[in-house]
Parts: sequence; structure tokens; C-alpha cells
Amino acid sequence: MALFVALTAVATPDEAPHTSLYLLDLAGRRVEPLQAVGAKVTVFVFARTDCPISNRYAPELQRLHRRFEPVGVRFWLVYPDPGEPSEAIRRHLREFGYGFHALRDPEHTLVRLTRATVTPEAAVFVGTGGEASLVYRGRIDDRYVDLGRSRAAPTTRDLEELLRALGEGRAVAPRTTAAVGCWIAPLE
Amino acid sequence: MTRGTLALLIVLAAHVGRAGGSGGDPPVTFNRDIAPIVFRSCTPCHRPGEAAPFSLLSHADVKRRAKQILDVTSRRFMPPWPPEPGYADFAGARRLSDEEIALLRRWVEAGAPEGAPGDLPQVPRFPEGWQLGEPDLVLETAQPYTVPAEGTDVFRNLVLPVPLRGARYVRALELRPGDKKVVHHANVLLDHTGYARRLDAREPGPGFAGMDVELESSRFEPDSHFLFWKPGTAAVTEPADMAWRLDEGTDLVLNLHLQPSGRPEVVRPVVGLYFTERAPTRFPMLLQLEHDGALDIPPGEKEFVVTDHYELPLDVEVLAVYPHAHYLGKDVRGWATLPDGTQRWLVWIRDWDLNWQAVYRYARPVFLPRGSTVHMRIAYDNSADNLRNPSQPPRRVIGGNRSSDEMGHLWIQVLPRQGDGRLVLQETFMRRRLEKYPGDFLAHANLAAALEARGAREEALEQYQRALRARPASATVLNNVGALHQSLGRLEEALKAYREAVRADPDYLNSHYNLGNALAATGAFAEAVPHFREVVRKRPDDGIARSNLGAALLATGQTAEAVVELRRVVAADPGSLNAHYNLARALAARGELREAVEHLEQALRIAPDDPDARHDLAALKARLANRNRSRP
Repeated sequence: MALFVALTAVATPDEAPHTSLYLLDLAGRRVEPLQAVGAKVTVFVFARTDCPISNRYAPELQRLHRRFEPVGVRFWLVYPDPGEPSEAIRRHLREFGYGFHALRDPEHTLVRLTRATVTPEAAVFVGTGGEASLVYRGRIDDRYVDLGRSRAAPTTRDLEELLRALGEGRAVAPRTTAAVGCWIAPLE
Repeated sequence: MTRGTLALLIVLAAHVGRAGGSGGDPPVTFNRDIAPIVFRSCTPCHRPGEAAPFSLLSHADVKRRAKQILDVTSRRFMPPWPPEPGYADFAGARRLSDEEIALLRRWVEAGAPEGAPGDLPQVPRFPEGWQLGEPDLVLETAQPYTVPAEGTDVFRNLVLPVPLRGARYVRALELRPGDKKVVHHANVLLDHTGYARRLDAREPGPGFAGMDVELESSRFEPDSHFLFWKPGTAAVTEPADMAWRLDEGTDLVLNLHLQPSGRPEVVRPVVGLYFTERAPTRFPMLLQLEHDGALDIPPGEKEFVVTDHYELPLDVEVLAVYPHAHYLGKDVRGWATLPDGTQRWLVWIRDWDLNWQAVYRYARPVFLPRGSTVHMRIAYDNSADNLRNPSQPPRRVIGGNRSSDEMGHLWIQVLPRQGDGRLVLQETFMRRRLEKYPGDFLAHANLAAALEARGAREEALEQYQRALRARPASATVLNNVGALHQSLGRLEEALKAYREAVRADPDYLNSHYNLGNALAATGAFAEAVPHFREVVRKRPDDGIARSNLGAALLATGQTAEAVVELRRVVAADPGSLNAHYNLARALAARGELREAVEHLEQALRIAPDDPDARHDLAALKARLANRNRSRP
């Protein structure tokens, strides 16, 4: 437990350079997700097709998406493993009924920027383009405490509470939490 | 539990590392040093189609995750192997030794080199499909069960009827659970009574809920073998002289632990049975240490302890153990105290985790002489600090089979050294249960069945009566009481008990059948007919009941119907003496003499000396000759 937390470096969100964040869509085109028109808040959630913990969060993420997308929150799933082809990702989205878009991060641009370490892990930006700043990186909720150690139900829903605060126009201090899940393997 | 002995029993874990001694260590490579560990302890689950999320079959697979592997193995999260090392020696232990983990660390620190191609051991090959080859009988659930996309874990019991004619001996059972990412573990139970089917019928959807199933048995038929599945385990083939009997009419009950995966998952487990002609000559038995009746855990309690013990009445070898508790279980121990006072560990799990529960088979059987006492001690944590606690804030928890209830069991598979010792075990075990639960229904009923099986009929009757005091409407016990009275020649008492059994549970067909027979024995054939009819309506393949129905119809003069029923019996089972004989009589009564003669001749082919058939045949032939003379 202690080792796991120590390995999750604490990010310094407000220093993160992100003037032009390019990721790939499933057709292999470069996209700039932080330039999305009309989005006040952008949520990235790192995922793998075969990670049981991130898969188990699919219904919760869809609920958050349905609730917060209408108030200007843009959701993206980000697949950081260069070994997961677009076709497998499309199938994964279909099978788990995700109603939002997916990006690939084969160069780990967003992984490095946010210092995410596992799937599922959320990274939340406020603002667009060069004005965007990372206000949160970490777990979706506290259901998993460690690999193999989980609660029957979460007691703190970090991502949902943050999005609600942002939606209500409250100021939020940048923050990170330790996420539990499948490691994002470093690039060769 | 005396803690002083623990330190004495710690033994050094066996180690297979080949990574040299001190100074000038050769470099650790995947092919030479790491692959043997990974192939033995990881690959059984980390390969395509198995339960674990990614494959670990090649250097590239393992190197990419090297740091993660080092992390989870160092913390003993992987490979999952909860028993404390040094407290019993189990077959197929997956735990890595400290030396193996040190080797992994050196390999990761050296940059995870591959090594020489010639050093790589054979990559393990796993058979596709059935591990044990094509089964003799494949069973599938009638309808698949759908696990919801989210929520807490699901504990579901699916009933699989076994379409067998007659009994078979089973040497192996292989379970293919369906999606192994959803099915976390499974137990297979045998139900001789149709009880599970009735539970199934009461709930919508396939199967019925419950973490544990308590099945009634109507006769002495103790559980004998662990039929357990968990990911990555090879199917077990029993020793050649230790097959188990599967009777006609038995249902298999799959007790499944299912984990929602994030999308609705359809689960359709398939069971393969492998038969043998060889009847068992050694008879193991499962003893369940438990004291669920003592479970009453106040909220906030961090160390609630439940114990049980049982003194063995004969020499046994312990073959396997299966500890079981729910989410509050914390520390689970099993051990034996020998007559000379020494202690022998059976299992110790320091950090109980329901998700990794398993049957543990000993590398070598553990011998326990007569007079040894086996012990169980389970500690529970019902505080908010136990994050697995399903109730936050914690609430009072008692024994029960929902996942929010608790249980605490240590199942022990013992094999008596001399002959079939199961009756002695069962009798003493149930007497011990009565110490824990005076007046307990199951204890009295099982004790009665054991007494009955060894011929102590009056004593058995007394125990059945005590069982009925606890549960007056138990159809199985009332039926057994009836059968005992009947075997003792007390037909009136038998009829009374059977009638009560039928009233208590009109769906319990054994009582209908027995009541029908008892009524027929008193000559009340008309009254017997509807009871036989009820049996064949629900069990159309029950030839004996249909044959008796035919005989009762014949006796009441309903010869046309008798012919219909008895024709069906002889068509399905041409070897039934009674059916041929009764069919002949029914046909004769209807004047169909030629066909009647044919059936009597068939009856005499089955039993050439049967005096009734001979007598009737002679009489029929005389009638036929007579008729031919009168109609030239």
C-alpha cells in the first residue's frame, strides 16, 4: 500500500506546459482536444481495453458523462498503450457502451503532461487551448484502495464532486489523488 | 490457540533459484532465471482466454510490465496465495519464495535482459477446450444468467439436472465457467432431493441467490469430494479407487461468485463429467467445522472470534481443506491437536480475502491418529477500518448466506485409514453438532440417517422424531419416518407419516411414491392411483412408478388405462419383469390373449422360474386353446 502511493509522484498541475496538446483519434488523425469549442471543462480518463478495474468503471463514467456533458464538460477516454490498435479500441467502446470519444496517446504526451500512472485515472482541465490548466489528476472515487482491496461502494466520489463544484462556479484548488488500477507501462 | 508453538513450526521455504552465490553473480536473465518462475506461477492465468488481464508468455510481455510485476509480487498481491508459508505444505502452491522475488528485483534492476535463446524453457502449452479430453456427459444450464454491468459482487446458484439412467461413478468433473473474467470461483454441490430446483422456481430468472447453499439429504449421503473451481487451476481427477457416485435424479448446483465487469455479461457454465466403471473402495468425507450460530458481531468490533473443534473417532488422512468466511473474516486458522499433545497446522490465512478463497490440497496427506482433535478459529473485523465491510457504517452482523451476513467454516476432507469409516464419522460429528446446537434439525436428521444406514432403526426413528420437533413439516424426514415404520412392519404408522409428508410438501415426489406403494400394500389401490399419477406426471421417465401405476390401475379394473401405461413402461424398459407380467394380465382382462401370451413369454425370458408368470401363461394358453375350439 505504502509503496504504491510513493510510486505515484505528486504532480505540479499548474506548471504543466500544455499550450498545444496533440493526441490521435481512432482514425490516426492529430486532434487538439483542449481546443474543443464550447467546452469549459475537459475530462480525460486513461483506459485499457483489458484492464478489469477501468472496465468496472464504465457505467460510472457513462453516468458522469450523461450528467455533466450538457453543462459544458467534454469527456475523452485516452488509451495510452501503443500496442492497442484502433480496431480493438472501437470494439471496446462498443462492448462497454461508452457514449463518448476515445483518443490514443501512443507517445505518452498526455501521460507525461498529467503524470498519470494507471488506468483508470482521470485528468481534468479547465479552460481551452493555451488557457487550459490541469486542476485534478487521480482516482474517479475511492472504491479501490489498493490492488485487490476494494470497498463495496465508494465513500468519496472525487471526480463527481469536482465536476459539481466546477459546474457551480466554485473555485477549486489543483489537487491530485492516488489512483488504483493497471499500470501504464512506460514506452520502450 | 497457543501462540508459543507458532515460531517452532516455521520452516524455510524451499527455493529453486539458480542465481549463484555471493560475489560475481552472473547476470539474471529472463530465459534462464525468470521464465521458469513466470511460467509456473503467472502464466496459468496470464494468457489469452484466462481470468487475468494480460498475457505473460514472452520476454517482451514480461519486460513491459517488469516494474509492476516486481511491485505486486513484492507486496504478495500476486500470485494470489493466501496461506501462510510454513504452516502446511500444499500441492500447487503459487507463492513465490523470498529468493525468487530477490531474483526478480535483480533482473528488473539490470534492465530486464532476455538472455541466451538456448536457456529459455518450453513455453507452457495449455490444451484448448476440455483439459481432460472429451467428457462422457456434458451438462449445461437451461438458460444463461446475466450478470449486471455494475454493483456489488453477485452470488448465484444455478441448477443443472443430470439426465442419467441409473447411477454412475465419477472420476473427474471439469467446470468451464464461461467468461473467466466474470466468474471468480465456483463450488459444485450435489442435490438428491430437488430442493435446489424448488428454490430456483421461487425466484425469477435462472437460479437463486445466496453465497452458500445448505442442502437437505433424505438419506445417508455425506459430501465426500471438493468440487471446486478457481481461475488457473487444473481440473482434478480423483484417485482411481476414490470415484464418487452420481445417482439418477441428482441435480448439480453451481454456486457461483460473479464479479460485474462494467458491461452486462452472459454466463453459461458448462460441466463435463468423466465416468469410470470402477466403484470406489476408499471413501473420503468432508467435515465442516463451524459455529455460525455463535456469530453475532457488534458494530465496531475488531476482533470477534469463533471457534469449533471435533475429536476424530478413527485414524484419518487429511487430504484437503477449504476455509470459508465472508467480508468480515480477518484471520482463519485450522490445526489439529494429537493425542500426545503435539500440534499440527492445517492452514493459516492471516489476511482473509473472500475473493481468493480456494480449496487447498496437501502435497502429502496429513495423518491424524484416532483421538486427535481438529480445531478452527476465525477472527472477524466488523469495524469501519475493515474496508471490505459491506456495511458502512458497520451494523450488527449475524450468520447467514447473504454477502452482508457472515459465515465461518473450515471444511476438512478426511480419508479414514481403515475401510469405510464414514458412518462412524457422521454419527460422532452430528453428536458434536448437537453439543453446539441442542435440538438442531439437521443434526438430528443426519444422525438418524447415519443410524439408519448402520441398521439401528429404532434409534434412528427416535432421532427423526427429534428432528421433527424442530421442523414438524419436513417432508424428507416424515417420508423417512414412514419408510422406517414400513421396514419395521408397522404399516399404519407408515401410512400416517407418508400422508403427513405429502401434506407438508405436495411437490416432494418420493412421499407420493412411497404412499402409493404403502396404500397398494394394504389393498387400497384406488387411493394409490393418484399418488403414482403425480409422480409420473412430474417424472415421466420414472419407469418403476409408472409400472406401479399400471398395476394399481389394473387392480382397480381400469384395464384400458393400465394397458396404456404398461405399454409405455415395456417400450422404455423391455427388461422389466413386473411390467410385462402386469401388462399381460391387463391385456388378458381385455381379451387380448395373444399379445398377453407374448408378454408372459418375455417375462419368463427375464425370470424363467417366476411361478406367477408360469401359472398365468399356462392358464392363458388353455383359454386360447378353448377359444380356438369354440370358434372353428
